[in-house]
Amino acid sequence: MDMLTQWLGWLPSLAPGLLVSLQLTGLSLLFGFPLGLLFAVMAAAKFAPLQWISFLFVEVGRGLPALVLLYLLYFSLPDAGITLTSLTTAIIALTWNTGAYASEYFRAGLAAVPLGQKEAALTSGLRGWTGFRIIILPQALRISTPPLAGLAVLVFQGSALAFVIAVPELMSKGFEIASITFEYLSVYLLTAVLRVTHSHFPGSGPGAGTPPRPPPATQLTFAPPIQGNPAPQPQ
Amino acid sequence: MSFSFGTKTPSIALSGEVVVSGLGKSYGAARVLSDVNLVMSEGEVVSVIGPSGAGKSTFLRCLNYLETPTEGIIEIGGAKVVAGGKLPDKASLDHLRRVTGMVFQSFNLFPHLTVMENITLPQRKVLGASKEQAQETANRLLKHVGLPDKANAYPARLSGGQQQRIAIARALALSPKVMLFDEPTSALDPEIGLEVLAVMRDLADEGMTMLVVTHEMHFARDVSDRIMVMGNGGVLEIGPSKQVMSDPQNDRTRQFLKAVLDR
Repeated sequence: MDMLTQWLGWLPSLAPGLLVSLQLTGLSLLFGFPLGLLFAVMAAAKFAPLQWISFLFVEVGRGLPALVLLYLLYFSLPDAGITLTSLTTAIIALTWNTGAYASEYFRAGLAAVPLGQKEAALTSGLRGWTGFRIIILPQALRISTPPLAGLAVLVFQGSALAFVIAVPELMSKGFEIASITFEYLSVYLLTAVLRVTHSHFPGSGPGAGTPPRPPPATQLTFAPPIQGNPAPQPQ
Repeated sequence: MSFSFGTKTPSIALSGEVVVSGLGKSYGAARVLSDVNLVMSEGEVVSVIGPSGAGKSTFLRCLNYLETPTEGIIEIGGAKVVAGGKLPDKASLDHLRRVTGMVFQSFNLFPHLTVMENITLPQRKVLGASKEQAQETANRLLKHVGLPDKANAYPARLSGGQQQRIAIARALALSPKVMLFDEPTSALDPEIGLEVLAVMRDLADEGMTMLVVTHEMHFARDVSDRIMVMGNGGVLEIGPSKQVMSDPQNDRTRQFLKAVLDR
């Protein structure tokens, strides 16, 4: 059978899986990025216990493979009397994972803001939270954004791991079809195509992070006006 | 650790816009600044000159606690802080920074904000000024530094000289009593530096109290009332500008001035 025809037939069954994958990714990013920022700010706090908490969560979140984190939460939470759906458990695990990695990107962004900016803020009377919020943070976020966009794509790829705790996402839907049709290669190729085509998080592509060049201060005319056919002159 | 003046206690009470007595800073055993004394009256302009590593910038940055001095007393525009190697209480620190305006060698404009926002944001957050008030002040200051048409530009689009003039306007917007300049023209080419010096000259003529760390000898001689020469973390000599330039008393000063003026 023609592969494209096969694929068209499978798409309706895969679409809900793709939606779950996107939902899982979206929510993990939605909670994970602010969590990462919180960890980064806590790591810079003067109050030592905040640093320790941040350190603990970041090191566990980055130190454990997402797969292990998924299993640990999935099997340990019910023992602690907490019963959550597998999707919720996956969101928690990937949020933790995302937050841990994102915190390092935020930390790098904060560290990359020149010291002179902090000094200028202080001497302008913008100290503490105010100075951090309106002077340091916006500059740090600008630096952190391109790597975070890359991380967003990685989280989307990583969300396939939620398959192992029975989250009905793209991978598991593909597996369902494959186990009936035995067309493993074809099915997984289709899920791969769907992954790739949905991996274009704005700003994560090649060249992201290069700020657009401001237009030159003075307009240059490259084409000299030809006599008899005057080119329009920029004022 | 409490600091005692000992024999350095001045016999008469000093008054002035700036009174610095016995200012010093050490990193452990390394002493980078010792026993700096300076009294400035309102409207006075003092240039601080001297070789690299003399402690000029450290001295200036101690005055608004960008560096923490370990000993001495700082009194500026009614704010008084007794140094003890750590930051003073918030109220004193705020007061001290409120009465001093700082201009940096590298401008340090906020790159994510427009020129207008650079000048209005501190006013609104620190002085509680309304948006209209802050913009009015900003427009007046922009005109003052000769850049009335740059309000909506981002700093990256401005030349170094323009950025530094904006930085001066930003500092002035909080109506400081004393302006501190840390080598304001050192990052600029000599020609562009002139436009910044012209603004500073105007400021001096208007009666602003100014302390200027600089390598601009013409400015030091012609604009400032007095010159303070620093070397090795201390004050080598201080006196009327023309006298220090033409008839320095200290050997090290003579050597430094010869090197600077003969080039």
